[in-house]
Amino acid sequence: MSLEFSEKAKKKIEEIVARYPQKEAAILPVLHVTQQEFGFISAVQEKIVAKVLGIKPIRVRELVTFYTMLTRESLGKYHIQVCTNLSCHLLGADNFVDYLVDKLGIQPGETTPDKKFTLSTVECLGACERAPCMMINFNYYGDLDPKKVDEILDNLK
Amino acid sequence: MIKIFIDKDPVEVEEGTTVLKAAERAGIHIPHLCYHPAFPPEGSCRMCLVEIEGFPKLELACSTVVKKDMKISTKSERVVEARKAVLEFLLAEHPLDCPICDKAGDCKLQDYYDEYGLFESQFKEVKEKREKKLKIGKTLILDQERCILCTRCVRFLREVTETQELGVFHRGVHSSVNIYDGATVVNNYAGNLAEICPVGAITDEDFRFKTRSWFLEKRESICPLCSRGCNILIEYHPGFARFEVPKKVYRIKARENPEVNGFWICDRGRYGYSYLEEGRADQIILNKIDGENVLTWENISEYLGEKIKRLYSAKKATGIALILHTWLSNEELFLVHKIFKEDLKVEKIFFADPPQIEADGYLLTSDPSPNIRGALEIGFDIKTVDLDALADGTDFLLAFGPFLSGLFSLGDLKEALDKIKGKVLFSYYSNELNSLFDIVIPVALIAEKAGSLTNVDGIVQSFQPALEPPGESLPEWKVLADLGKKLGIDSKFFEKFTSPDAILGEMGKKITFFQEKE
Repeated sequence: MSLEFSEKAKKKIEEIVARYPQKEAAILPVLHVTQQEFGFISAVQEKIVAKVLGIKPIRVRELVTFYTMLTRESLGKYHIQVCTNLSCHLLGADNFVDYLVDKLGIQPGETTPDKKFTLSTVECLGACERAPCMMINFNYYGDLDPKKVDEILDNLK
Repeated sequence: MIKIFIDKDPVEVEEGTTVLKAAERAGIHIPHLCYHPAFPPEGSCRMCLVEIEGFPKLELACSTVVKKDMKISTKSERVVEARKAVLEFLLAEHPLDCPICDKAGDCKLQDYYDEYGLFESQFKEVKEKREKKLKIGKTLILDQERCILCTRCVRFLREVTETQELGVFHRGVHSSVNIYDGATVVNNYAGNLAEICPVGAITDEDFRFKTRSWFLEKRESICPLCSRGCNILIEYHPGFARFEVPKKVYRIKARENPEVNGFWICDRGRYGYSYLEEGRADQIILNKIDGENVLTWENISEYLGEKIKRLYSAKKATGIALILHTWLSNEELFLVHKIFKEDLKVEKIFFADPPQIEADGYLLTSDPSPNIRGALEIGFDIKTVDLDALADGTDFLLAFGPFLSGLFSLGDLKEALDKIKGKVLFSYYSNELNSLFDIVIPVALIAEKAGSLTNVDGIVQSFQPALEPPGESLPEWKVLADLGKKLGIDSKFFEKFTSPDAILGEMGKKITFFQEKE
């Protein structure tokens, strides 16, 4: 694992930081770049970000642990985020999570041993019209039922 | 100034102030947990909700700015209901372990529950499990379950010490205050955290489980451990005769003074209170006495007066030497100056203070004595003791303070002092130094007497006795005022000095610096 940002990421961070009157204000977009770069943000990454922005690593950890879109551990190739909020819940999201737990053999928050899938439950994905829904990486899938899920997962390499 | 109404009573308040501050000034306490006057309003605890006419919802007293003719209710039914509801939420995740909590009796959450809560808990769910004994500092223990996430500690470390050792990790019901990968709070102000924590989350090992806060008497005093002169509260157990619990000081807390120390004190001042009790001298010690009767406090000044008069009438004021220190109050130093410098024209006046320490750039200064500025303003030239010059041709030495032993070895001191015939020491402590003097008179510490000190910035602060001096100890100013009378050089001058206040009043007339500072 590289302990430094790539040249491309460095340039991107420079651009982001220049947009704000205070360096610290750039922390969230910089964290997104960091996550894209390393896949996750652990203590090592926290320290690099803190150094770039001239703040203490503890400030970075406060944000990384606060935001669910930032992750502290490496994820599987496919990150499955299942909505369990109101609309999805009413349309059976819980059964649906149970189905995925059985199918993948992992609990929410865990990654399969082959590092292919990570399962998470999340709050509203903003797609209630397609409830129950989920996201796999950055793609939406709605109106789910076990059959459809089987198809979707089978198509993932 | 604008007029507002708090609970129907008209109150004149400053424009731009907040509802909470305005109410506080009018003598009305609005419950609050996260708000601390040292920081901007945070508004996270929701305890300070009040009803304001024309506002549809209850508003936060800590962050709402007053407007002309605002009508605020702090005790209406809606407000009391809201406080109860807020407490119910705060306590839902709280372990309710007051009987074994060290903060019990000192806890605002407990006080408010007693005043506004008193509900049957509706919380049937399992409480979150968190860290109960997280060591976050040299003597600090964090109980994350008791924490109500007011973030006072986090803000203190961010805004006051700027060291940021604590942060809030995770969110919602999982939020908790934490340290970064085992890096504990290391700064000279860490002790303030246990004090500003409004609940039992941060406790101090220096104090915890040693006594109960409701047994403690609280007295105001001034910290003598550096020249800042921070305002403090000394909390001591008055002792139980029946259970043989002795009288003892248990902790020092900060006392607010915006001009001197704000709301804080340093750890040196907070934890260094052993000087108050350990090794104190409580009896007059007579090592060598030439034919006189037993000395008591009543005849000390007479004895000293006779001794000095004998030397003076023989035109030998040069035979008198003096060792002072700057733990003496303004009044005491002024009396010494008048008697020995002005009247007796003694030239050999030295100072023996504790050695310099490292300043921390905030409150702690490099001078570990509280009244150096006072000594300078009174007109002393602060010369450190020179043993050769001290002993040379000296017949009588009057020494104050225990600090000589910090400057020289006992052997060097003995060699020098052996050359002097008469030696009297006024000291707080009973230690080896005392064996070198003919007479040792125990005296009261700053915490045990009245007087005033001049801090590093020239602020003159008066103090009153917080504790009883041990045994036969009494304050130096009494002996000095008496000695002034007995010497008979300017007896009338000393007659009115029946209290430190009277002395400070006179100082104001004689020294411009002390004008209107009494």
